[in-house]
Amino acid sequence: MHTTAVELDQLAQRTARYARYSLSAGGLSSVLGGILLFVAFTLNAFADLGPPLRSVLAATPAIWLIAKEVLRRRYYQRAGAVLQTPSTKERRQHFWMVVYLAAVALVVLGFMVAAIVRDQALPDGPIIGYILVVVAMPVAAWRWFWSVSDFLVGVLLFCQSAVVIAGSNYPATWLWYIAACAGVAVFYGWREHRDYLALRAELADGTVGR
Amino acid sequence: MKPRTQAAIDGVLGLDRLVHEPARLAILTVLNQAEFAEFGFLEMACRLSKGNLSSHLSKLEAGGLITIEKRFAGKRPQTRAAITPAGRQAIAIYREHLKALINEVPGAAKEEVK
Repeated sequence: MHTTAVELDQLAQRTARYARYSLSAGGLSSVLGGILLFVAFTLNAFADLGPPLRSVLAATPAIWLIAKEVLRRRYYQRAGAVLQTPSTKERRQHFWMVVYLAAVALVVLGFMVAAIVRDQALPDGPIIGYILVVVAMPVAAWRWFWSVSDFLVGVLLFCQSAVVIAGSNYPATWLWYIAACAGVAVFYGWREHRDYLALRAELADGTVGR
Repeated sequence: MKPRTQAAIDGVLGLDRLVHEPARLAILTVLNQAEFAEFGFLEMACRLSKGNLSSHLSKLEAGGLITIEKRFAGKRPQTRAAITPAGRQAIAIYREHLKALINEVPGAAKEEVK
């Protein structure tokens, strides 16, 4: 039982740390996202993109988000779901990230509509796919991108998915930037994962807070 | 009786008993850190048995300090508890009372009370 002020503070702090894995801490999903990002852009730059590989690359955001959800539910919150209360700073940061992506999506949509009006013809399948991915990006950001590393990985995966669906690819010049973003995601993800392991040990420790 | 002692006794009697009970205090402390928490986490974090936890949750719900939502995820029942604004206020007031009370006790104020 938790009876002293110090023990109650420890309990509060552990709960807040555990709750972070419901939103802002990705842990292994950030590590996976970083690796996926680097692999996807390397394939974009150097591989011969036939239809099967193009399909796999187009699906990378979905693969990452599914892995993220599975890890959250089955691993990080397996002792019971605890939904994080984001801080004012986190809420503000998340709000502006979504607004930024929604604005980008609107600009892209505007160009597409202008092209349709100009050409008096509906866009073909790949362009419709491109538009759908661009429109899905702010929605995914609103639901899943609660940290800087999630934002970096998520946005870049969505961008390469849209470009690959449209029939193009990212050149090798992007790889340095991508490697830096992937490095950030892997570094923070691994650190979060190690913190989670320490937290599990603290929560399982029968002598603390009894 | 010295005025200081009288003030300390009044302080003890003035504590919210619904919050003051250690198990309920632990539950409120956990819920105060999140939007909601599932039964399983509360059981583990507060180190309470299922029956005990259930009983304390019912008392807190009856006091309007938390809300309880029961639902099914597939065939698995899920119980979620969330603190209400009144619950957040009650725990904040309780901690203020406790701090003030400890400061009334000679020598105790030197100990760290957060």
